[in-house]
Formats: sequence, structure tokens, C-alpha cells
Amino acid sequence: METKFTEAYEQPASDTRHETDCDKVAKLLDAVVDGEATAEEQTFFTGHLEDCVPCFESHQKQKLLKGLVSGNLKRILVPERLALAIKTKIQATTV
Amino acid sequence: MSDQTGKQMSKEEKDARFEAELLPVLDPLYNFAYRLTLDEDDANDLVQETYLKAYRFFDYFEQGTNAKAWLFRILKNSFINEFRKKSKQPAKVDYSEVEGYYNSEDVEGESGVATTTDMRTESVQDLIGDEVASALNALPVDFRTVIILCDLEGFTYEEMAKILDIPIGTVRSRLHRARNSLKEKLEKYARTMGYNG
Repeated sequence: METKFTEAYEQPASDTRHETDCDKVAKLLDAVVDGEATAEEQTFFTGHLEDCVPCFESHQKQKLLKGLVSGNLKRILVPERLALAIKTKIQATTV
Repeated sequence: MSDQTGKQMSKEEKDARFEAELLPVLDPLYNFAYRLTLDEDDANDLVQETYLKAYRFFDYFEQGTNAKAWLFRILKNSFINEFRKKSKQPAKVDYSEVEGYYNSEDVEGESGVATTTDMRTESVQDLIGDEVASALNALPVDFRTVIILCDLEGFTYEEMAKILDIPIGTVRSRLHRARNSLKEKLEKYARTMGYNG
């Protein structure tokens, strides 16, 4: 009895060292949305998403987040005189 | 005037080349400066300082390589130095700001410029843009920086590592944490607007 209890108690400790596929996918989210995943990582990722709804959803969210920044953040207009100011300074610089 | 003994280029030639190669980056560079400083005057100063440094080190710049990443790196270093000592001393050029840039394989060309979607001004899009901007501005500057470089400017992880002087692994983990923070802030906003994340 006692040994069994110890075994059962120790089990989770070794379990935490083992990464689940969902953990791996979570770590790959950024590389995938940024197009930086290796072919191998990409294959694993796509395969896992076919049968994991939560991971599928977090991928959708990550894409949405990236799109929010790249597509919605307004660009600031460069002050008109800045380019001229730079040219003037450069031309006045002696090397 | 014409004392270019030992120099391959006259000053006029050098200036013309400098302008042709580096001034096209002005728009993204100014935007980066603004997103870092959140102030138009500071952004203005920072960009001018960056171009002056770039000019002094232009001989180290290899023509046809990634001018954008090179300038972003100089600007980011200037920003850090300015941030550390908020004094108005004449800017000292630190050689480490430009050296070491070419020590790995050539950086690719300008292929990674962020593609902007149709920019017709729609009020909803403006609203979202404002919200994304304020969520982004609320992030610590290190987090803000990686998101801007990656999502707004389309730099690769390798280019980001060079611009920021950190290993690619750090780029990855910083980007991951930055996005989690941004997500948190935007989800809070989405909930107040009646959406459920």
C-alpha cells in the first residue's frame, strides 16, 4: 500500500517534464504566424491543429492579433521639412 | 574643395549615394522613432541624429545590403543612449553601434516590408487603430519594439536579432511575451465593447 502511494505521488513529477503536443504548438504560434517555422515545425503544427480545437482557435487569435497591428495601426506622416533638414546637415558635414 | 586624395569618392558623389540609398528609409525610420519616443519632436531629433551617424559611418555600409535594418539598428542604439543619459551633450558616436553588423550572412533585401491593407479611411478601422495604438503604447518599450519591428515593419527574426543585438532565441521569447501582453490589453478592450475573446 505504502509503496503504491509513493509511486502515485511521484508520477506527476515525471509527467511535468513531458511536454504535451499542445504545449509545443503554443510555443510555435509566433514562428508560424511570422512565417519563421521550419518545414518540420510547420508540418507538426498543421497536423496537430486538424484534431485540436483549442489550438486551432489560439492560432486564429494569434493571426488576428498580428493583423490588428499590421493592418490597423496608422502610419505617422513624416514632417515635410525633415528630409531637407537631413540633406542640409549632411552636405554641411565635412569628413 | 577638391582635396579628395586617397578617397574614391568626392563629397558630392558620396552625398548623392547616401541620399539615394538611405533617404528612402525615412518614412519607416520616422515611424519607428515616433513609436519609441511617442513624441514628434523627439522622433524628429532621433531621426536626424541617426542619419548623421549613418553618414559618418557610411564607408562601413555595404552598398545594396539592407539599409533599412542598418538604420534601424543605429536609431535603436541612439534611443537607448539618449534614454540612459537624458543630457543634451553632443552625440558621441559609438563604434559598437555600427560594427558587428556584417558579421553574419548578408541580410536580405527589402522584401519584408509590411503590407498595409486598403487604407481608405473607415471610422471603424480608425477606432480599432487608435485602440491598438494605445494598447501598444502601454507596453514596456522592449515589448513595443519587437512588435513594431515584426508586425509593422516586417523584419525577419534574424534581422531583428541584429537590430537589437540579441540572440534569435531572445527575439522569439520576447516577441511571445510581448504579444501575450498586447493580447491581454486588447481582450480587456474587446470585453468592454461587448465581444467575448
